[in-house]
Amino acid sequence: MSHTEAAETFADRVRAIPGGEHLEMCYSCGTCVSKCMIQQKIEPEYNPRRLLRLVMMGLEEEAFQSPTTWLCSECDLCYPACPQEIHISGVISAIRQLAIEVGYESPLDTVSVDEAKCSGCGICVMVCPYEAPHLIEKEIDGQMDRVSEVDPNICRGCGTCVAACPLGAIAREGVSNAEIYKQIKIKKQNGVPRLVVFVCDWCLRADDDVTLLESYPENVRVIHIPCSGRIDPEMALRALRSGIDGVLVCGCAPGECHFKRGTQVSSCKIDLLNRVFDQMNMNDGRVRFAQIGTQDRGRIRGEVDGMLEHLVAWKEAR
Amino acid sequence: MAKAKSTAKSTKAKPKAKSKAKSTKAKSTKAKRTTKKKAPPKPKLAFYWAASCGGCEISVVELGLRLVETGELVDIVFWPCLMDFKYSDVEALKDGEITACFFNGAIRNSEGEHIAKLLREKSQLLIAFGSCSHTGGIPGLANFYDAESILERVFDTVPSLDDSRGTRPTKTTKVPEGKIEIPTFYDQVKTLAQTVKVDYYMPGCPPVVDQIWNVFQALLAGQIPEKGAVIGADAKTNCDVCPREKGGSSQRVKEWKRPHEVELDPDVCFLTQGVICCGPATRAGCGLPCISGNMPCRGCYGPPDDVVDQGAKLLSAIGALVDTDDPEVLGQILDTIADPAGTSYRFGLANSVLSELKYK
Repeated sequence: MSHTEAAETFADRVRAIPGGEHLEMCYSCGTCVSKCMIQQKIEPEYNPRRLLRLVMMGLEEEAFQSPTTWLCSECDLCYPACPQEIHISGVISAIRQLAIEVGYESPLDTVSVDEAKCSGCGICVMVCPYEAPHLIEKEIDGQMDRVSEVDPNICRGCGTCVAACPLGAIAREGVSNAEIYKQIKIKKQNGVPRLVVFVCDWCLRADDDVTLLESYPENVRVIHIPCSGRIDPEMALRALRSGIDGVLVCGCAPGECHFKRGTQVSSCKIDLLNRVFDQMNMNDGRVRFAQIGTQDRGRIRGEVDGMLEHLVAWKEAR
Repeated sequence: MAKAKSTAKSTKAKPKAKSKAKSTKAKSTKAKRTTKKKAPPKPKLAFYWAASCGGCEISVVELGLRLVETGELVDIVFWPCLMDFKYSDVEALKDGEITACFFNGAIRNSEGEHIAKLLREKSQLLIAFGSCSHTGGIPGLANFYDAESILERVFDTVPSLDDSRGTRPTKTTKVPEGKIEIPTFYDQVKTLAQTVKVDYYMPGCPPVVDQIWNVFQALLAGQIPEKGAVIGADAKTNCDVCPREKGGSSQRVKEWKRPHEVELDPDVCFLTQGVICCGPATRAGCGLPCISGNMPCRGCYGPPDDVVDQGAKLLSAIGALVDTDDPEVLGQILDTIADPAGTSYRFGLANSVLSELKYK
């Protein structure tokens, strides 16, 4: 492969796409890598600094195959930290766009639409942080129908649309409604409060915090979800109906959401649900949302313990 | 006979000839020899209203001449709104003697519960007719309060009241003719299915007249849908048939408005105009009278299949459309929703998980 010849053209092509302009300002300090949750949590090979270097060196195939190209969720935690003020996710998006153009496909778990169910309401289109879904006219069972279609190369699999879909027509493997409801079960605990903790895969930065969650006894059921945006109020209601005493949802801090707007969507829903409880005169503080920031190491313990204490008091007061 | 306009299909309708007529035919061979073929007995129909406004009956009457045609094909054995019947007329019937009973209204007091149980015993098919019977409807909104606080409001504190004696309705009252009793007023408004077993659900506040006609014709033709089905409605939601232009990510909501506060574009999705529309979480089948009138869907046709709590699903969709990253602004945007519970649970409160939790 002739790297020297491709070098100029590839970097030029990246620069030509809006977002890709600042490519060459990178001097490879690696601050972005130190900020990145993906590198810490799921993929040690993930490295924006390296990816930008690959592009500048014209290593097109390597850049397209790099996990960095595909895993970036555009959370932009690295953006304010970059001393060169490079909008790194913009550059990565440009590289990704070129990769898709030549036929590469995203390796991520993405959502799928049940077209027989989809009513084409377009909620998912408005909700998606990445503009992955769009409405199309399509022949279904011999009739033209308007349904949602999700671009698997753009979808990051956060599941915010899955929760927002009013018919349950969208699913993501591993965190479909059925799979989550299966997990919302805790055996009766002899008076000890039963608590379901939904925790987004990204809000707990420290490994200690993740292990701490595993150390809670059986009355605390921890359910891992890709993003707090995956939660819908019906889940909380059905959990309470099944006899579970409390539901705690943990997501990222505002502005730090791994999937851009999932935490905002989730806090909005939990807030609305609590407003409805208020109106019904039944707000016992049993459904809570905790937004845990990148600086909040150790806070999860306080959130879970605080909720359990609250539930003990609530049970006694009944 | 006039053919029905088939604007919508009944879901899960399976043609399955019910052989009521056949069994009576085979009953007596003697009769066959001596007399001419006897017409099979007409199906017996009953209509009842519990906690409801009467709109469901109006919708049936709207059938006009088609109702007269139907009336010739059936025997109406109970319909207190239209004809003079007494409870004793129903009590005198044999169990299962009524072929189909269309029951509208929610169950609000002991009288509603009693007649629901009675009609269940006497009917082969019991159809929850209209929103109140199906999901609790507007009377179901009383589940915001308990019986005592409602009575207190109505008989003690309502500003238009001037009653120094503090009169409250009493269970029994002596009158010259003897003692009269009023039914017990319950704490919780229930749907028909929360009270007795229901065979079919026909949604709508009220069910639209064309759908009523479709259902009548299907049942009279012996097309009996699967038990438990929602009939006279579609499977998908209103958005499926709504012609309005849908929004994109640039049309997320920064302020919710009520319909009277904004000049509404008749060609664009209400949600993108910042007005809550229950259409995305509401079963289609009404023919969109509200939406064509440039008013958002209020949700009366109830949830689609597989949705347990219509209100929660709507909250989930509405919540996801709000656009801000600032927690304070988020609160302010949510403050612009005047009545989140009443808006999202307008017709479905009695049937909701929320209500179940309250009365657990």
